[in-house]
Amino acid sequence: MCAAVVAISLGACSGGSSTSGSSAQGAPAADALSKAKGVTTVSFWHAMNGKNATVLTGLVDAFNKAHTGKIVVKATYAGTYDDAITKYKAAIKSKSTPDVIQIYDIGTRFMIDAKQTVPMQEFIDRDKTDVTDLQPNIAGYYSVDNKLYSMPFNTSMPVLYYNKTLFTKAGLDPTKPPATLEEVRTDAEKLAKVNGGPAAYGFGAAIYGWLLEQFIASAGDDYCDSDNGRKGTATKVEFDQPDAVAVVAWWQKMVKDKLAANTGRDTAAAQTAFKSQQVAMLLESTGQVGGFTQAATDGKFELGVANYPKLKASDSGPIIGGASLWIDGAGHADASKEAAWEFVKYLSEPATQATWHTGTGYFPISKAALQQPADVAWRQQYPQFDVAVQQLQNTPLTTHTQGCLMGVMPQARKASEDGIEAALNGTDAQQAMTKAASGLSSLISTYNASAK
Amino acid sequence: MGTEGTTARPRPLQSLLPYAYLLPALVVFAVFIFSPLVKSVILSVQGTDILGNPTGFVGFVNYTKLVTDSDFLKVLGVTAAFTVLTVVPSIVIGLALALLLQTRIRLVRFFRTGFALPFAFSVATASVVFQVLYNPASGVLNGILSLVGTGKVDWLTNPDLALWSVSAATVWMQLGYNLLVLSAGLGALPEEVIEAARLDGASGFRLQRSIVLPLLTPQLFFLVVTGTIHSLQSFGQIKILTVGGPENRTTTLVYSIYEQAFANNNSNYGYASAQAMVLLLIVLIVTALQFGVLERRVFYR
Repeated sequence: MCAAVVAISLGACSGGSSTSGSSAQGAPAADALSKAKGVTTVSFWHAMNGKNATVLTGLVDAFNKAHTGKIVVKATYAGTYDDAITKYKAAIKSKSTPDVIQIYDIGTRFMIDAKQTVPMQEFIDRDKTDVTDLQPNIAGYYSVDNKLYSMPFNTSMPVLYYNKTLFTKAGLDPTKPPATLEEVRTDAEKLAKVNGGPAAYGFGAAIYGWLLEQFIASAGDDYCDSDNGRKGTATKVEFDQPDAVAVVAWWQKMVKDKLAANTGRDTAAAQTAFKSQQVAMLLESTGQVGGFTQAATDGKFELGVANYPKLKASDSGPIIGGASLWIDGAGHADASKEAAWEFVKYLSEPATQATWHTGTGYFPISKAALQQPADVAWRQQYPQFDVAVQQLQNTPLTTHTQGCLMGVMPQARKASEDGIEAALNGTDAQQAMTKAASGLSSLISTYNASAK
Repeated sequence: MGTEGTTARPRPLQSLLPYAYLLPALVVFAVFIFSPLVKSVILSVQGTDILGNPTGFVGFVNYTKLVTDSDFLKVLGVTAAFTVLTVVPSIVIGLALALLLQTRIRLVRFFRTGFALPFAFSVATASVVFQVLYNPASGVLNGILSLVGTGKVDWLTNPDLALWSVSAATVWMQLGYNLLVLSAGLGALPEEVIEAARLDGASGFRLQRSIVLPLLTPQLFFLVVTGTIHSLQSFGQIKILTVGGPENRTTTLVYSIYEQAFANNNSNYGYASAQAMVLLLIVLIVTALQFGVLERRVFYR
């Protein structure tokens, strides 16, 4: 915190850029906050509930205490990620946007196109903030043309969870989880009831488009054209390409042969199937590690966590997903923007991120957070989480693993789910995915025409 | 009549009074019904930008899109099926229960309260209960089935079954209300008519079919009309149980409007408004038909 204060006063000394202060998308003058009279309120909309919300509230309270008399952050739950972005749009219309909002990764392009926010890079450049501590893969998602638009906050990766106890019962080596989809199938054949195995199904996954996005990225493919929308505006999705269709066809055959459970789109249902030991392997986010550890203790089974399986053994790793924080500029006072920047910086600090990581299971965006004593101790207690740390460090940052940047990404994810669902229910995989992808074309062109 | 002009001329204030009484209701109607309606009509001929702001007059583009969109035809089919699958069973079962509860059995009050109870549940609460029953991993229904020894049923994930499952949940929600209305109707039947029929030798099914049922037609007609409108506007159970899936097989018109306007970062208010106009039209036509055709067979005493 001291460093941040010093950085700000230094920025003030060097003059800052007072002219850009009043523009909606530029950073304000660095002394905007110190000049402000009284307490500056920062409204903050987030999409965290349950345990995550409790931890977040604790962080907000700590920030408010450290800034008593100067800044007060008012955190409000805005519903799910989808709800939050819908409310945000309504707020733009009624000119009542919050100072800081948490938006999911796939809303990034929309947030840039909406032109309401001050890019983080403006603050970083003004203060010459040291951002080398940010995990490059995480910052990569929210960087466009080497400009960091929003501050990553909560991030997660997909991993393969497996039930070691069921592996042992099926005569498999619980220390050797499958690494490829082919190996997942081989193991599922031994695990599933249909072949006399100990579990109702060997494998499970919710029909969740995010999972397919991960397979495409780690196979070294783009999800949308123009290099995943990173070199220009994306004009079409490519989740009907051979690698993606191969994944869907593999999944379809798993369901057809009764090796995999089809629990629909509801992620909670897939989680329940794993927790109640009906499926022996599950694709899920690292965010579930706490819940599954608890379920393993309650259900008396041993939990295993492994790298996200690959289509081909030579594939790299998945995209890092989650959500990031955006600072609103349009219609906001300079002091509010500056106070918001203070708050966002605080949330990205190593100590804060270590608390966040150990409290929620979300991956820390700060490299130094992993060195914090509390974090080291926590990972010793839950070694499962080191899998995610290593998976992240072994994934090179390319346009493939940066993920697709596209305005209609939320709709694209839904469309891919339509395709997967149709395939799992018997439609030819190629046909299902092609139909889903082509159905998006008019939506994409309408968006692109309107976003100019 | 000749004296009317001289003596009964109402004072201006007095003639305004009825409107004053109506005013609160009119204000609520204007704010929550008429103004959104007018707004929808305007929006339906406008384009929409990425923030959901209207971009100007586009003519009937949104309407021609409706006609050419094969998914939209599917939506209409689902809507019709859902309406039939909810209105007919909820009235037939409601009637059967109401008739059964007319008999003098013990604990009849207990049963009546029990059967009418779903009326007290909100759609959201009831849907969450059905979610627990239907859950593909830990569902109560599949648990019961496994005791019997039959295989699992994919209540909500099987595309051929999902609409039936959602309809069944809706019937349960609607049943309590229908039962209350029909029970009240049965309770108000004139004793002397029933007695006369009995003296003439009518009993059992014959009595129900030829005497009780015709006397109950006003209530039945009321339930058909309100039930149809209610079904056409159902949203909560679809949002909670299936989110319109699998393969859009439970996407009704109202759910489609929601998806276009608010879900998945969509804000196609223009297209959604055009769909809303279609919904309005369907409700108007169906209600007019019901009044034109069915009401002739209603026996008002």
